[in-house]
Amino acid sequence: MMNIKRKAEFTLAIEAENWNDCIDRVGRSQDKEAFRALFKHFSPFLKAFLIKSGGVTPENAEELVQETMIKVWRKAPSYSSSQASASTWIYTIARNTRIDWLRKQNRQNPDLLNAEDLYDERENPTPLSSLSQIRTKKLIAEHLSQLPVEQSEVLQLMYFQGQSGQQVANTLDLPLGTVKSRIRLAMNKMKLALAPLGDLGVLEGKNL
Amino acid sequence: MINRHPESDLLVEYASGSLSVAPCISVTTHLQYCKQCRDSVESLGEIGGELLMTSEAAPVSEDLLDRIMQDLDSLGEEKPPVSALRQCSDGITKELPEFVQRLLPGGRLNWRRLSPSLKVAPVSVGEEQHELALHRIDAGGKAPEHDHLGKEITVVLTGSFSDEDGVYQPGDFLVRQQGDTHRPFAARNQACICLSVLEAPIRLTGIKRVLNPFLSFTPS
Repeated sequence: MMNIKRKAEFTLAIEAENWNDCIDRVGRSQDKEAFRALFKHFSPFLKAFLIKSGGVTPENAEELVQETMIKVWRKAPSYSSSQASASTWIYTIARNTRIDWLRKQNRQNPDLLNAEDLYDERENPTPLSSLSQIRTKKLIAEHLSQLPVEQSEVLQLMYFQGQSGQQVANTLDLPLGTVKSRIRLAMNKMKLALAPLGDLGVLEGKNL
Repeated sequence: MINRHPESDLLVEYASGSLSVAPCISVTTHLQYCKQCRDSVESLGEIGGELLMTSEAAPVSEDLLDRIMQDLDSLGEEKPPVSALRQCSDGITKELPEFVQRLLPGGRLNWRRLSPSLKVAPVSVGEEQHELALHRIDAGGKAPEHDHLGKEITVVLTGSFSDEDGVYQPGDFLVRQQGDTHRPFAARNQACICLSVLEAPIRLTGIKRVLNPFLSFTPS
């Protein structure tokens, strides 16, 4: 008998594959049923995610959900499950939509260079193998919820509110060095080896 | 030791969408050359995906799906718009990587000579906190010794240059802090072009200066 943890992982994998497959179907044959399923599953999470961004009201958030889901429809043909899981791909689209929207609010002209141009994700010549992608995703899923509160708080301010390290430091009234250390510690916990050369440096800030 | 990649906090800022335009361009430029950092950014994107799905779901209006489906119908066969990417024409510009060419306003650069072997071309990207520019040192040329008034990011695009600390190749990502001085010189056989992003300290108000210890200095 499968133990509960194995079973949960198994379900997780099936579900993930299911959403990847939905995006593939939208991309291949403009499958509206698959799109509806994606909408039903993802839009409440997208709305929750977008509401947390500074300056976004619940009405704005729905506008942004709408914009994001329309982009999902349009960009689905370029989706490749070997590059990103469905949730990550959709996150990226929502992030870019938010960036352009916030720039418009600040009267910057996002049409000059929109977030999609800036991130230039049109092609990635060396996608991660789906095996290593699944492994990374699993490590992140396992450890993200286990992070000490002061580390996850930093990541949440950055991912949800789009705050820079310096802004997080201001929000939490901490030295920038401490924020940087917390980011590194969180990455270590999730076994993400980022730019190894960069992380050989001595940890800054001692107030952990 | 000089690191040639963005540090992890900068990559997290990039993946979480908290970088303003100019630094974002510098990281994307580095990623064109560096598979290792591309992989890191993909993993950091997975954190975003995971945080997205662990948010407490907020129900959406009942008619939102219908509205979207209507929008999709009216999209019809319309092709996604080709974003107004810019074509470049002048000589030096053609030497640049494609990604950088696409960022240039009107595809033209106004090169100004700063010293006998150093030219600079500012690139306008519509933000005030940073200045983006391209620098070109002639083959074998030396830039004048200079110090940094604010944090400066440099990404080598073509050719190579050296300074007291080492030799830098295309894709290398360097961060100089305020107060660092150095005197770069290009390799003898080829001109070196770099993309640079400078924090524009002069424009910041007194309040921001207090909030940002990084900028707590007096511009000379």
